[in-house]
Amino acid sequence: MNIWLTGLRTMSRLFAILTMVLLTACAHTVSVDGQFPTPVGNQHPLIVGVFLSDDFRQFTYSENRDDRDEWNINTGRAQKNLFETVLGSMFRETISLSQYPSDLPQGLDLVIVPEVRELQFTMPRETRVNIFEVWIKYDMHAYNQRGDSVAEWVITAYGKTPTAFLKSQEAALAQAINVALRDAGATLYTGFAQVPELQAFIANKQRALSMQEATSDE
Amino acid sequence: MKPLSNLAAPLLLAAAALSTGGCTTVVIDEYRRSTGELAVGDSVVILGRRHSSEYETEPDLIDCVGDTLHNPESGVNVIPEQQFVDALYPWFEPRKAPMHIKSLSKLMDIPDVRDRMEQYGVKYIVWIDGSTETTSSAGSIGCSISTAGAGCFGFGTWDKESDYEASVWDFRDQELSGKISADAQGTSYMPAIVVPIPLIARVQNNACKGMAAQLREFLLPPQSASRY
Repeated sequence: MNIWLTGLRTMSRLFAILTMVLLTACAHTVSVDGQFPTPVGNQHPLIVGVFLSDDFRQFTYSENRDDRDEWNINTGRAQKNLFETVLGSMFRETISLSQYPSDLPQGLDLVIVPEVRELQFTMPRETRVNIFEVWIKYDMHAYNQRGDSVAEWVITAYGKTPTAFLKSQEAALAQAINVALRDAGATLYTGFAQVPELQAFIANKQRALSMQEATSDE
Repeated sequence: MKPLSNLAAPLLLAAAALSTGGCTTVVIDEYRRSTGELAVGDSVVILGRRHSSEYETEPDLIDCVGDTLHNPESGVNVIPEQQFVDALYPWFEPRKAPMHIKSLSKLMDIPDVRDRMEQYGVKYIVWIDGSTETTSSAGSIGCSISTAGAGCFGFGTWDKESDYEASVWDFRDQELSGKISADAQGTSYMPAIVVPIPLIARVQNNACKGMAAQLREFLLPPQSASRY
């Protein structure tokens, strides 16, 4: 009887291991860890606080649909690097905030808080186009020192990479995400001053600074 | 030693086939508005257009043209694409890059961008747009393994077509210097008698070499170009 029980236990363990192996065989994990170049251009005359929440820093997109394999895509670290690099070079001074809205340092003109709204991707076999494509949408919020909303705008980013010959699906998708993140950085950098509310805000600040300079000259 | 000698024949055949390759025809056209003015200390940037969602100019083609053209001794100094795009981030990203020479002059209104371009000594920006595609394929190859051994039998063939256009912008004079187009076609064959023997037509590579040779003549002043 003992032999039967031991055999049954061994069989059930083997079955459990086999199930685990089969389940994990269809799960893909992608961890994107890109470094991004510092933008070249003019700085806005603002002192800006940047708050990247824990959700943003550790963002993982998980998808488990019937018509697709399971995907877990971590873009947190890469997008943290991107926003720190781009926002860090856009303004006269940028302060990284560990918390928001409490304990804000004095003298901030704006506080910028980004959020991931959406991430989508397609594989070559789904579109019959021989490329991997990625779309990322960010909701951007800008607040003043008192916590009132100054502007809200959306950044859409697109990245694609050709079917990477002899590369895994994961590596090709990570490459497409890096291209999309670079695109997000480019849109953030070039589009910031085109948001009407921010355009007016920067113009007011510039006017105040030039008046300040004029009075100090007198 | 017998198994080795058995292997040697197919391997030699495969090596010979690879060196022979399939046939490719390349047609290069040129439209020139000014003569080459590349001087000592000047640089050339070769960039791929990647704004279309249907295709993308292959980074390896851009590298190939750049590597073939780069020859400081003959006066052609090519800045690698990625290095240049990173140094001028975000202005040459796929969706932000200037599409026309007029947009480039607008970009030069930003002092930091202008300074960076001048640091690099950029004289020409060459935009390459296009791609290489497999247009048709036919045939089939079957492989099997048995106790007696393994082998493949059959015949496969496919056609590839390259279509590229290079627009040459004179950065200093802010004008279009001309255009070069390269159309290449080739058919590859893969007969398999026990071992598949690829006869690959290097369509993209031949388009690259053709374009690089034409670009060298285009960019260098007439006397220098004829010397190399």
